Amino acid sequence: MDKVRLLLSLITIAIIVVPIVGMLLAYQNNLLGLFIPPEINEIADDLMGGDGTNGSGLEPPTMVGEPQYNETSRTFSVTFQYKNSFPFDITIKSLSGNIKCDEHGFPLGNASLSKPVSIDAGKTAKLTVLGTWTEEAISHFETGHEGEEFVDVVLVDFAVDVSGIQIQLDQSQMEQSMQVPNPAYKG
Amino acid sequence: MKAILTKFNWFGLAGGATTIVVIAVSLFCPWWQLTVGDDLLKVNASPVNTNFGFLDTTFTIPFIWALNIVSILTLLASGIAMLIYSIIPRKSYSKHLLGFGYKKPLFTVLFFVIGLLVITLILQAVLSINVPLMGSTTSTLPIPFVSGITLSVLLSAAFQWSFWLAVVAAGLCIAARLYHRKVAPAPSATTVT
Repeated sequence: MDKVRLLLSLITIAIIVVPIVGMLLAYQNNLLGLFIPPEINEIADDLMGGDGTNGSGLEPPTMVGEPQYNETSRTFSVTFQYKNSFPFDITIKSLSGNIKCDEHGFPLGNASLSKPVSIDAGKTAKLTVLGTWTEEAISHFETGHEGEEFVDVVLVDFAVDVSGIQIQLDQSQMEQSMQVPNPAYKG
Repeated sequence: MKAILTKFNWFGLAGGATTIVVIAVSLFCPWWQLTVGDDLLKVNASPVNTNFGFLDTTFTIPFIWALNIVSILTLLASGIAMLIYSIIPRKSYSKHLLGFGYKKPLFTVLFFVIGLLVITLILQAVLSINVPLMGSTTSTLPIPFVSGITLSVLLSAAFQWSFWLAVVAAGLCIAARLYHRKVAPAPSATTVT
């Protein structure tokens, strides 16, 4: 009976000690590798490095085509081109921000993504942003930008949801400038 | 009928078999799963197999893998001991086999849950990341040395069915210990007059 008890105790000790000591011996020259596998560094490189022009993995979007304006609904649409410089597919689920007059800092309205966009790794896709001018904005265009066909505006308080990760950037971090048609322009 | 019922420890048989099934199942199905974002990062945790998935890349941490091996061997030894004990519960050494086997599934479940609790509490205290044990929450991640950027992620966590199977295995093993009194009652003291 004592032999059985001894054998079971030895089995318990061996089960605990052998794998841990074995792993410590296998990693004796690289103890950090016991806790940080090489895959973590690769993922960090992918996320931080990417192929972005600014080295951050993020490629700034570029505006394509002319902005469209619908007078009756006071809405406009702007199309951007965005390259996914990450080595994995992403889905831009939402994007929103407030629009301010670049010259006067006057709040003009808000803008948001028309529909979610999926972009494969390394590919480029078009994002359509829809914006709505407030009534005060229309008055501002009439008084502050009379005779101007296009007005420079900036997208501030930018918030984007990429594959479930929500990023909010305040004005100090990002201002996306663009030109929009002046809704008060009579031609 | 009573003889058949008390010849074997049926709870022990069921507990031992379930423990071995738990090992096999847990190699493929985690006990607890945490998803970050829309399947961007996945944490598949169980005492038998803990791995992390970032999109298509799956990796393990070598030290955790060593602990997983310890758990596999512990549960396997426990399951085998419970099965042997259950078939021959009245042998002189059977109680040692029972004592060796019945607590291990319970301790494995307890250590796993306590480990998860401790890790989530540490993440909350040190990094202010609120990781749920069950359910979903949006957690704000700290970005050191950068102001003006807020990064929030949706974290969803849940215990999987394999965890509840392990709880059942632990319960059956405890029941086997209690049923042992009926299968192999302690010899009653005889009074000599």
